Amino acid sequence: MSESNATGEVYWDPYRPDINLDPYPYFKRLREQAPLYYNKEYDFYALSRFDDINKYFSDTTTFSSARSDIMEFIKEDDLEIPDGMFIWHDPPRHTSYRNIVTRVFTPRRMNELESKIRAYCARCLDPMIGETNFNFIDDFGAQLPGGVIGMLLGIPDEDRDIIRDRIDNSLRTESGKPMESSQSSYQGEGFEDYVEWRKNNPSNDLMTDLLNAEFTDPDGVKRKLTTEEVLIFINVIAGAGNETTSRLIGWTGKLLGDHPDQRRQIAKDLSLVPAAIEEILRCEPPGPSVARYVTKDVEIHGQIVPAGAVMQFILSSANRDESRFADGEKFNIHREGSPHITFGRGVHACLGAALARVEGRVGLEEMLKRFPDWELDMANAEMSASSTTRGWDSLPAFLR
Amino acid sequence: MAKIKFIEFSGKEHDVEIANGTSIMQAALDENVRGIVGDCGGSCSCATCHIYVDESWLDKIEVKSEMEEILLEEVCDPQDNSRLSCQIIVSDALDGMVLRVPEKQF
Repeated sequence: MSESNATGEVYWDPYRPDINLDPYPYFKRLREQAPLYYNKEYDFYALSRFDDINKYFSDTTTFSSARSDIMEFIKEDDLEIPDGMFIWHDPPRHTSYRNIVTRVFTPRRMNELESKIRAYCARCLDPMIGETNFNFIDDFGAQLPGGVIGMLLGIPDEDRDIIRDRIDNSLRTESGKPMESSQSSYQGEGFEDYVEWRKNNPSNDLMTDLLNAEFTDPDGVKRKLTTEEVLIFINVIAGAGNETTSRLIGWTGKLLGDHPDQRRQIAKDLSLVPAAIEEILRCEPPGPSVARYVTKDVEIHGQIVPAGAVMQFILSSANRDESRFADGEKFNIHREGSPHITFGRGVHACLGAALARVEGRVGLEEMLKRFPDWELDMANAEMSASSTTRGWDSLPAFLR
Repeated sequence: MAKIKFIEFSGKEHDVEIANGTSIMQAALDENVRGIVGDCGGSCSCATCHIYVDESWLDKIEVKSEMEEILLEEVCDPQDNSRLSCQIIVSDALDGMVLRVPEKQF
């Protein structure tokens, strides 16, 4: 922690690249000195303690998702959220749409994908055997999640990269600046042709399931999803499953590169992998903070947060809260005790958590089987800025 | 108030006194019972607080909702005595109940 940060005014915003490189000393000060923090410059409040986030994050009547979960969008005057963009609905509208995909991403079904995910990892990693240079993002993190989502949706391999790039670019912010809401698209552009084709060529995939699913809509009408709604669902699933999991793979490379002793223990005993993935998710959440719209005045830590405000829930701070996690700043795959809060809480808790976990776990196993030793090339690594995720755009390493 | 026994997959036991109105998931997390995750914090949507209830107690617990039924088909290693622990709310009637934690949640 720099001296000015230790003694100056408590400050955090999600945009400053220097803070983003290592936000944890800032979070520690928020937890200790400003558990309810207000940022004047960007006009938002923030909660950083585990107990506060655990308590308030699932309260959808006070902290609404109906104006999205991204600060810049929440502040838009003319924001319109289409039906079926369920991550940005509150109950009961949310419930009606989310129920359609409740069964899709469950632990059992995701574990059934394991052998296919393993084969996809082999396709990414086998060509690297014998190489000295490996990039955790270009060679692996950018490949695997899109491949797996494409597999689920039934999108041909050769088209996956184009779709991933389009989605990632729509969520990327210019370094140090808030995101322009106009840049984002959640209407599913790029998938229309597949959906039209799939209507006449049903298969055993999620796109077919979505086209056939019957549900009771928010007005109580039993019907199928419209094509627009199917496109929105696909876009939500593809958008949520790509960049976040790529970040998880990047953080796996980074944290185990920084802790070779623990990496060696895992390589020797792969039964440690699931606990290692949980610890990576705790230490470096791919989505570090999530915003909500405050629907009514609420008193927190003796102060009124007014209706209409934006509240940031800093999950990555909660995960290191010493009152919940002893030695919270320390990476320790043998940690016992509370689970992390990386996947959120409440009805909006990450739908794809089981998928992220199986990709993280199988990805690490396959990595360690081929490359048990690596050294990071941090001089050439690039961290990226985004309003929704934090992680490496490029993470080169030397394989040993 | 009810005294409830959790048995972790490793065999480690926790005897916990739990206040009425608390969910079993929350009590397990407060007590650091290993193997209960509870990602969604008790909103019956993530299926990561799966637990086995000793048979003799099954009819003393509130019946499953449709959503819990659906999710219990989706957990790892479901059994006839499977429940989601976030949906079990403690009352005096559950005093003495024994719960077993499955090998894994995901």
